[in-house]
Amino acid sequence: MTVDQLIDWFPISATWPGLTFLLAVLICAVPVFLFIAVYALVVIYGELKISSFMQDKVGPMGQGVGLHAWRWGLLQPIADALKLILKEDIIPAAADKKLFILAPFIVFIGAFIAFSALPFSQTLIIADMNIGVFYILAVSSLGVIGLIMAGWSSNNKWSLYGAMRSAAQIISYEIPVALSIIAVIMLTSTMSMQGIIQYQSGLIWGFLPNWLIFNNPFTFVAFFIFFISGIAECNRTPFDIPEAESELVAGAFTEYSGMRYAFFFLSEYANMFVVAGVAATAFLGGWQSPIPGLFNSPAWGLWWFMSKTMFLIFVMIWFRWTFPRLRVDQLMSVCWKGFTPIALVNIFGVGIWYLTLG
Amino acid sequence: MGVVQGDQMVLNIGPQHPSTHGVLRLKVATDGEIVSDIVPVIGYLHRCFEKHCENSTYEQVIPFTDRCDYIASMNNNFGYVVAMEDLMEIKVPERVEYIRVIMAELNRIASHLLALGVYGLDVGAFTPFLYMFRDRERILDIFELTCGARLLYNYMWVGGVSHDLPVGFVETVYNFLDYFEPKVQEYNDILTYNKIFIERTADVGVLLPEVAISFGVSGPNLRGSGVKWDIRKEEPYSIYERFDFDVPIGQGLVGTTGDCWDRFHVRMLEMIESTKIIRQALKDIPTNGDVHQALPKKIRPPKGSIYRRTESPRGDLGYYIISDGSPQPYRLKMRSPAFTALSVLNEISRGWMLSDVIAVLGSLDIVLGEIDR
Amino acid sequence: MIKYLTTIWETVSTMLTGMGVTWRHMLAIRRDNVTLQYPEERWPRPERDIGFDHNKYNVIRSRLHVDIDDCIGCLKCERACPVDCIKIDTVKVPNRGEDIPNIRHKGITSFGTRKAMVVTRFDIDMTECCYCNLCVYPCPEECIYMTGGPNAEKHDIDYEFSEYDRNDLIYRFAKKVSGEDLENATTKPQGVEG
Repeated sequence: MTVDQLIDWFPISATWPGLTFLLAVLICAVPVFLFIAVYALVVIYGELKISSFMQDKVGPMGQGVGLHAWRWGLLQPIADALKLILKEDIIPAAADKKLFILAPFIVFIGAFIAFSALPFSQTLIIADMNIGVFYILAVSSLGVIGLIMAGWSSNNKWSLYGAMRSAAQIISYEIPVALSIIAVIMLTSTMSMQGIIQYQSGLIWGFLPNWLIFNNPFTFVAFFIFFISGIAECNRTPFDIPEAESELVAGAFTEYSGMRYAFFFLSEYANMFVVAGVAATAFLGGWQSPIPGLFNSPAWGLWWFMSKTMFLIFVMIWFRWTFPRLRVDQLMSVCWKGFTPIALVNIFGVGIWYLTLG
Repeated sequence: MGVVQGDQMVLNIGPQHPSTHGVLRLKVATDGEIVSDIVPVIGYLHRCFEKHCENSTYEQVIPFTDRCDYIASMNNNFGYVVAMEDLMEIKVPERVEYIRVIMAELNRIASHLLALGVYGLDVGAFTPFLYMFRDRERILDIFELTCGARLLYNYMWVGGVSHDLPVGFVETVYNFLDYFEPKVQEYNDILTYNKIFIERTADVGVLLPEVAISFGVSGPNLRGSGVKWDIRKEEPYSIYERFDFDVPIGQGLVGTTGDCWDRFHVRMLEMIESTKIIRQALKDIPTNGDVHQALPKKIRPPKGSIYRRTESPRGDLGYYIISDGSPQPYRLKMRSPAFTALSVLNEISRGWMLSDVIAVLGSLDIVLGEIDR
Repeated sequence: MIKYLTTIWETVSTMLTGMGVTWRHMLAIRRDNVTLQYPEERWPRPERDIGFDHNKYNVIRSRLHVDIDDCIGCLKCERACPVDCIKIDTVKVPNRGEDIPNIRHKGITSFGTRKAMVVTRFDIDMTECCYCNLCVYPCPEECIYMTGGPNAEKHDIDYEFSEYDRNDLIYRFAKKVSGEDLENATTKPQGVEG
């Protein structure tokens, strides 16, 4: 189901095309927003529990009655969200008010509109653009503007540091992300998300699903480059230098509180989903079942896509609770001296592979 | 076109900051990320320890020494009672000496665990911190078992210790050591040899031996620079000359000798050495004996003064005591190792990045309670 | 080039080692868990038997307690306290070792000492207490102790004490009597002398 189908389906589309377009977009946007909210609650709970288990703790556990966190602390993320919503919204007197208020929404919008090109299943995609991957890469870097706005408008030195760091980081990591996706696009010859997934049907070497990660050694490497650079784009540990709570207090978010702070969090989790979703689409076959030919209905497709995405998000959480944080210059050198050259070699290698063996 | 001139930005790290290890304030002059000058501002935790001591009796000083280096209270008590016993020429029973050594070394492990764990936190690794706290908690359990307190013990007294060891103490400590020794490998796996951690700490904040000596840096920070100096070996107090242990020094395994990683690693090795000492002490400890036997009826040292130093987990911990023959010290001065360690911060982290300042500060393992006193 | 590749290899291998550690801990959470669910589960207090009476002594340095009937008002604990959180006032009794019923004063301690003083004020400010235990040792009657000290069976060990009012943390152990009663009891009755 796409926006285009929706528009066609409206009987009034011929008379008021603008109105129907707006309606269709709204109809799509509301469920996506709800999905992000619910998904964020689930992942926050997952993060709390996974991190606790890794640290020999049990995490949130409510055992009493009433407003406790229920069994196994299942209500903990809801309590967290409630707390953030109810908290006082503080705007520093010296802050640039307009930018300060605007920043969290811009960050969120960057993550939010990327969802419109994510193929949740064979039929469930909001807009299957012919430049789907390109679109996602483009809009997901919108968030950096919001971060810089947040850092600058807070009128706080820590925020400024965080903003400058995140600007450098996110813009740099766009490059290995894009380069590793180019390797994929060269093979699939399409930038449409559905097209990339359809390319990955069938088997390779007789037993492996024909996912691009297994296609050839170069795409295998490209997957890791994409995934790790993607983590850097979401500002997750070991690349969380814009936030860096032991150095910069809370980085760009230092002055934020309550709902605005929650929006930064929401967009971080939404960004994680986008990165994991694109990685699952481009390298792990998206909604393709691991056993080709079996369980390939759209409903199963949703299941496969979500499980692949959630697995990648789990790996991100796993990273976060294992590694120390890189320094800002090391972060840059990993990007420019590590990932970018390897990604370039990869493109070359994929080209050779495609010409000789493909 | 005018020349573009960058201004320096002065950044206040602390007194409320996640990684200043207490209430330290660092006035940092920065040019972008590069730090050009650091001025530590101390005194936020000043509690007039030395003046207080002049108005307390000699027994009452011991709880105050607890509160100086609150991470290693046993070692602080130890330094004070060693000085007092020398001043009063008290010979403490054999069992007391062993108890003291066991306690001091256990506390050294606990203190190093905290230092290493918090250092992990400073460079952004959360999980090792909790692993180390998990194991530190077991040591605190042993202390609670022995003297009823978990952090501020007031355990060592002039001429003895406050309680005898409980029944089953030796087995408890053996159990702990058996549990703890394999855990060091786990810390190494998750943090010490992690490449990101090495990148963050190797070659950063190199403390040259000459600089360290001229600043009076001591303890693991000095040994991290490759100087083999340990009061337990050089000027053995108590019964340390009976034990067989090494003094680990930094060798620059992954970077330059004297960098943050070396200081970190020396602490890691020292914990293993401490377990060796504890094992030997547990083997030789006399099974009975009155721990209160040598307690003086009244602590009233003869006129005179004494300076004794001991090896606390942070370095040379010195007590200078002047007695005028009354039950209260005329003057008591504490030479704090963390203070000298902090003084070297500006020297070794100038020119590095903001993140490195945090890393260097963490690697020096300062305790503000001891610096401000 | 070789250095470049070895760096990559080191990075990958050490990071995988670290991830292995957290993975193992995550799977073995049931075995490794160290959390106690606090209000429901309590930290087990250390089993300990040592000191004055091996069966009775179970030390946790928690709040101070005074068995006021045993206190002879010698002020030794007040002098031992490094932070001066103990305040004691005493009044001389007319006849040493005699009970004075109307102010509920017991004349003889459980150690058999005949008391010469009525303790009219025995305040311990627990907000100031530094839990050093120094007041416990000089006491000749062993009547001041951290709960969990000697006579532990009389008092549950409780290390959770919080109050809404700071004044509630000043523990007043002396018996509440009116000033008039006290005056009558501690001055020698008229006409008896001689």
